[in-house]
Amino acid sequence: MDRFERQSFLGPNSTKVLRNSTVGLIGLGGGGSHEVQQMAHLGVGGYVLVDPDTIDWTNTNRLVGGTLGDVECKRPKVHIAERVIRGLQPDARIKVVQGCWETELEELKRCDIILGAVDSYVARDQIERFCRRFLIPYIDIGMDVLALGDDQGYLISGQVILSSPGGPCLWCCGFLDEEKLSKEAAKYGGAGGRPQVVWPNGVLASTAVGLLVQLICPWHSRTTDFTYLVYDGNRGTVTPSPWMAALQNRSCPHFPASEVGDPGFDVRTLNAKRTAKGPSNSIGSPPSAATRPIWWRRMLSFERK
Amino acid sequence: MDAAHGLRTNMVDALLERGASNPSVAPNFGRSSEICAMRVRFKIPVRLLAEIREDLRRPHRFAHERVGFIVAGLASYTDGVLVLARAYRPVDDGDYLHAPSVGAMMGPDAIRKAQEFALFKGEAIFHVHSHGGSGLPGFSGVDLRENAKFVPDFLKVAPQYIHGAIVLSDDSATGQFWQSRSGRPETIDGFVEVGSPLRKWGRHGQV
Repeated sequence: MDRFERQSFLGPNSTKVLRNSTVGLIGLGGGGSHEVQQMAHLGVGGYVLVDPDTIDWTNTNRLVGGTLGDVECKRPKVHIAERVIRGLQPDARIKVVQGCWETELEELKRCDIILGAVDSYVARDQIERFCRRFLIPYIDIGMDVLALGDDQGYLISGQVILSSPGGPCLWCCGFLDEEKLSKEAAKYGGAGGRPQVVWPNGVLASTAVGLLVQLICPWHSRTTDFTYLVYDGNRGTVTPSPWMAALQNRSCPHFPASEVGDPGFDVRTLNAKRTAKGPSNSIGSPPSAATRPIWWRRMLSFERK
Repeated sequence: MDAAHGLRTNMVDALLERGASNPSVAPNFGRSSEICAMRVRFKIPVRLLAEIREDLRRPHRFAHERVGFIVAGLASYTDGVLVLARAYRPVDDGDYLHAPSVGAMMGPDAIRKAQEFALFKGEAIFHVHSHGGSGLPGFSGVDLRENAKFVPDFLKVAPQYIHGAIVLSDDSATGQFWQSRSGRPETIDGFVEVGSPLRKWGRHGQV
């Protein structure tokens, strides 16, 4: 029996399309861990998993897949995510990056879609800039808990935004602006841990994964390349932001098409590097058993030196 | 599709001399035997692709079909090179030549203008036309012959890029590219239509 039988309404080729897709996930904490889990269930075949951190006690209230044993051994979040995926898809194509996303740009460039679950506005801005330059749709999620004042408690809020190349961006819809970035820069180093809980992350991540599936395996005809959904955790609603209707079918003035691509690209330099390295499939891989010298030949070659 | 290859102007030749020098590159580089096979993925926004198909459907006063150029940025990635479509430059109505035996024949001005995009704006150039219909299209014999005549000349003005040609159907595309003037054309491995929906296909069909 096909394990994807119950999602066949996603299209006759959906299993193949999902398996051939490669998704970049930047941030594998509360939001990203939900996203990874759902994509593994769906059968997404390729992953570039990026997070510099290891799990700690304060993550265990929300990091899906993380265990107390992982905390004991200070397991990197990327390895927890990889374990979750391998449990459902042993043959998934996974590139694990325990570090900052800026260190693995070549890997991220080959992603079909990138999902960001990061804390800062600056990081969102930079990830979106990267995605625009290399024509990659970007889906951003984020949540916040705000004190309402006058003993009224707290408001849980959040957003899910799909930003596609050419369409409206995080700046077009007002989610990013200079004031937010400069305020964040002023607080740099003193922000401390912000409140985070598991269920709003689940709502936001599920909504983001829904947008991703809608992009690659649309199950209806009224899809759109720009989405801005607002989560109100107190009312329990996810509603379209007014920006969605206002910006539909608009183009983006912030990221002109002329800036697409790498300005320093030179195929001759690239070929010179590739020629020096040899065939690409041998880079970084150990010699196969067929080509590895047997022990006595290795001895001979050692003695000759 | 056809191109009036032999009618290049002196201006173009002058431009070629300027673009051809690059001190960081070995003088003998570019010989086809030294160049490894390269995987190339062509990415284009849905909105741009729709604009191109719409423009290519416009009737011309005498040509049987329309042609144009996709200008693109390039980037390396783990598997090879990404061609990232930036914009579409239709061939001006006055730059077609009378040639009833082929679908459309570009005059020298059309090629010169495209070469200027490559030289002055730093863009890779991909000639584009459409065969209509559905499914994976293929270049005709005339397409292949004419592509080989004029596309490698873009490497004279912008040897740092790859250049090529694309043929569209109403729901798919096929392409070839050159990375050296003396080399043979190579096939574009995959296409990605970026937008909603996001569609990918390759030389082995829809994925």
